[in-house]
Amino acid sequence: MTNCPRLEDLYLYLEGELNPDEARELDAHLAACPACRDALTERRLLHEAFTSLPPLDVPRDFALAVMDRIPETAVPSAGWLTALAAGSAALVTCLLGFYLLTGQNLSDVLVAFSRSLGTASGRLLPFLAKMWKLAGIFLGVAADLFSELGRGLGLVTGFLGAGGLGLALCLGVILTLLLLYGAKRLLSLGERP
Amino acid sequence: MTDDRTLVAQALKGDRKAFEMIVRRYEQPLTSYLGRMTGEREAALDFAQDIFLKVYCSLGSYRPSYKFSTWLFKIASNHLIDHWRKKKLSTLSLDQSVDGEDGSLTPQVSDPSPPVDRKFELAEVRRRIERALESIPEAFRELFVLRHVNEFSYEEIADIKDLPVGTVKNRVFQAKEMLRKRLEGS
Repeated sequence: MTNCPRLEDLYLYLEGELNPDEARELDAHLAACPACRDALTERRLLHEAFTSLPPLDVPRDFALAVMDRIPETAVPSAGWLTALAAGSAALVTCLLGFYLLTGQNLSDVLVAFSRSLGTASGRLLPFLAKMWKLAGIFLGVAADLFSELGRGLGLVTGFLGAGGLGLALCLGVILTLLLLYGAKRLLSLGERP
Repeated sequence: MTDDRTLVAQALKGDRKAFEMIVRRYEQPLTSYLGRMTGEREAALDFAQDIFLKVYCSLGSYRPSYKFSTWLFKIASNHLIDHWRKKKLSTLSLDQSVDGEDGSLTPQVSDPSPPVDRKFELAEVRRRIERALESIPEAFRELFVLRHVNEFSYEEIADIKDLPVGTVKNRVFQAKEMLRKRLEGS
């Protein structure tokens, strides 16, 4: 007869958590061991009770009580509305404030503002278009560069291991600090070559 | 039936009805868990409200790759831990094993008389388990409740509690043996 199983395995057996081989082995043992059969019988009733504990009753209006406590402001769309309202209020306040401070007619101010906006747009738009194109090229190059850098770092990490990489980084930092210190000494006033 | 992830996505778009459906789906499992952990129904209901509120405010951080029920019970478990920490309730060391238990199988003498009415007997055992549950340390009780009241798998409990599966199995087992000994002693 095999050794008696752990008590934990008897519970796992009752729960159906043992793998088929373990369960078969335990079945064979139980057939030959009255003490383990008794232990299992005793725990079987407990297991049935453990797995049939009733759920607690919840009042019918529980969900409504929860929903009453849920803040309206947490709803994402409300955030946009608030921002839009705040932005509009700020614009109106600025225009009114400008009118009150300078004494100029609000319509004149608006006409002047829109004219300036038009002029600025006429000058800015071609410039922005060029910048947009340059930024696209720059981002493409940077993405390639970072990708290669990442691959290189991966190779170095694989070669050096975590400890080696840490050491290399420390040496790199120390070297950079020394270079910066040297540059500062060279550039400082009164330094003789 | 709409699945949890879809309901969460709808709630994130501002659909309050979707969140209400989540509440209705989980109000009973959550309250059953909290009721066993606090030992008071009213306190369990209050906690459940607080936890659903916390869940609503944290929906943005929910990752759909995670099972929603596991995420919800993780928040609930942390909420209880915070509560106990504030109340500074004493807890039993987790290193302490079941009294007199060395893990080996001790032969038990079973009751020779067959049960007259098994249903009645089962109901009586359940009633005594509910009472005995309050007397076992919460770290063991919680894992037992998650396993047998909420019917989570050992792997899911390990996720909720950030514990290895082996530890969860062992603590659930220890909780059961504690209950068995208390039932014997009562």
